[in-house]
Amino acid sequence: MMNQDGQFGQYGGSYIPEILFNSQQELLKAYQDAMADPAFITEVKDQLQHYSGRPTPLTYCSRLSAAIGGAQIYLKREDLNHSGAHKMNNVIGQGLLAKRMGKRRVIAETGAGQHGIASALVSARLGLDCTIYMGAHDIERQYPNVFWMKQLGATVVPVEEGSATLKDALDEALRDWSSNYADTYYLIGTSCGCAPYPEMVSGFQSVIGEEVREQALSQFGTLPDKIYACVGGGSNACGIFLPFLNEDVELVGVEAGGRSDAPGDHAMRFNTDQARFGIAQGFATKFLQDEQGQLQPTHSISAGLDYVGVSPILADLEEQGKVRMTQARDTEVLQAFQQLASNEGIIAALESSHAIAAGLREAADMKPSEKIVINVSGRGDKDIFNIAKALQDQPFNDFIQSYLTQENS
Amino acid sequence: MSDLSHYIRQQRADKQLLLMTHVIYGYPTIADSLEMMRRLLEQGVEILEVQFPFSDPVADGPAITHACHQALAERPQLTQCIWDISQLASEYPQSRVLLMSYLNPVMQSGPAQLASLMAQSISGIIVPDIAVEQQQLIAPLTQTGIDPIWIITPDTQESRLKTICSQASGMLYCVSRAGVTGESADKNQALGDYLSRISQHTDLPLGVGFGISDAADIQALCGHADIAIIGSAFLNAYNKNGLDGVSAKLTELKQAIA
Ligand SMILES: Cc1ncc(COP(=O)(O)O)c(C=O)c1O
Repeated sequence: MMNQDGQFGQYGGSYIPEILFNSQQELLKAYQDAMADPAFITEVKDQLQHYSGRPTPLTYCSRLSAAIGGAQIYLKREDLNHSGAHKMNNVIGQGLLAKRMGKRRVIAETGAGQHGIASALVSARLGLDCTIYMGAHDIERQYPNVFWMKQLGATVVPVEEGSATLKDALDEALRDWSSNYADTYYLIGTSCGCAPYPEMVSGFQSVIGEEVREQALSQFGTLPDKIYACVGGGSNACGIFLPFLNEDVELVGVEAGGRSDAPGDHAMRFNTDQARFGIAQGFATKFLQDEQGQLQPTHSISAGLDYVGVSPILADLEEQGKVRMTQARDTEVLQAFQQLASNEGIIAALESSHAIAAGLREAADMKPSEKIVINVSGRGDKDIFNIAKALQDQPFNDFIQSYLTQENS
Repeated sequence: MSDLSHYIRQQRADKQLLLMTHVIYGYPTIADSLEMMRRLLEQGVEILEVQFPFSDPVADGPAITHACHQALAERPQLTQCIWDISQLASEYPQSRVLLMSYLNPVMQSGPAQLASLMAQSISGIIVPDIAVEQQQLIAPLTQTGIDPIWIITPDTQESRLKTICSQASGMLYCVSRAGVTGESADKNQALGDYLSRISQHTDLPLGVGFGISDAADIQALCGHADIAIIGSAFLNAYNKNGLDGVSAKLTELKQAIA
């Protein structure tokens, strides 16, 4: 899909410090070799099945569909992957590639912590050292994930610089890679960064869409009318969208609308005029930036969507009109989260709840004969503190209080 | 031969090694950073490299990254930065001034507009996140006679070294070791071999940077390199002892050459 320079239209490419040139070339070649090796593909598939638990189900939501009163709603259950998110698909692929390249150490950046956990798990399984960079601000809001990363033997490095979120963790990981490329593999968690990362991550995630295609045909006999996915960096969206690019299926990406349209209040790269073409963090895409080209702080209720750039693949597909981008605000996301939980007994991640919010909003105006698939990219356990806080749940606060009192007595 | 090469050659005629010092525009404030630059030029530093701060400086270590983020609070404008340092350049014709910026600020301000602002007084530009193959991105600058300063690393392979050298003008920026900017204990033992390998492909002056901080580092470069490039060490000196710290550091390094 990418051209020779790793570009998707005007986006993508590789814009890295000279010190990383050899490593980027080495990775590109190793990736191309691996993808041409049937034994490697078989190994990836085997791990996806026996370690992560694929295929994940496509779940029909009868009560939710009835409550909305429009299109039939199906959920792709990436929350049922080992570790509870789609991140596992990519980490298995890249982890095996790291091993194949003879690296002994893996580094990764993480926002919500799901990619950090997945990286720590796979590193443990493959016997690789693991260091995770995570914004200090994200560590605060996603501490349960940090706890697990440490239990898995990973070193978690808090990044205090800049906005102390995902983009800063990515910068820090790039710096580590620049110093340690000889023995270190940089395992990027989303379809961003220099070539071949966007294509590679999307490729490993495409298993989501491939399964949806088969499952839709066998479960309801046609392809879905629309598919929804949340868009942080864009890996779960690319994964579910790419196998449908040449079909009559509307592909809808859902960005973090945050609190408002004001700069710094959201993480929208499409539904705003505050983002435009730029080159940073190793690649060209739409970045939220000021007129001086400085990348801007973002906000989302979900750490995983709080990213300043977006996959170059999605930037290009949106420009070509093959993907439509919409957004969901924090408050709407919480409502969607509750609506799904109470109607279907599924606790979705706040990231995924963005896709659910937009899906439910639009399903209401569709016909009962139409079908939509919403990607549940991850499960919501990690969000317990954020959700309890946002819902101002007093009993939960009381529990924490009394738990701490008991611990300290 | 470009003005920068010519200048470096002339200066080298009676000096073992030239100094190129790195200052961040806007750190700790715009006025103070200009004062720091003035101090360095006053003391006769041969080349002044001015970094325009960027939100995501991925080739920089902790000291410079932190300073960049601090400097952003001043809301620096690239065109104003160029105007300010052009003024300095014309006040101190005995030295040369280079601009360092990551690609995105350059792209957003427009390379053509920047080129016309820089043409008179700024000799070269360093863009750490583009490769020589991507030089068309800054073509308006190079076509105006501003030298693009390409980076070479100890891992740069022979064929690529050839390509870079064939495209280079002004000088070459030879990174001393793997990693990002900053002081560091791991010195490149094979510096002499590394630099003579580069010299086989070019007559251009060679500057060596990353991790150079004291007299011993400077002495190790004499006889191998043309220019010592010092960034974080000045920043750290400034953070400890302000402008006097910067002056003292420069004196210390100059004495190591003589
Ligand atoms: C559960 C979940 N969904 C979605 C995302 C967003 O990432 P992407 O857009 O790359 O799929 C994340 C990222 O951390 C996540 O943890």
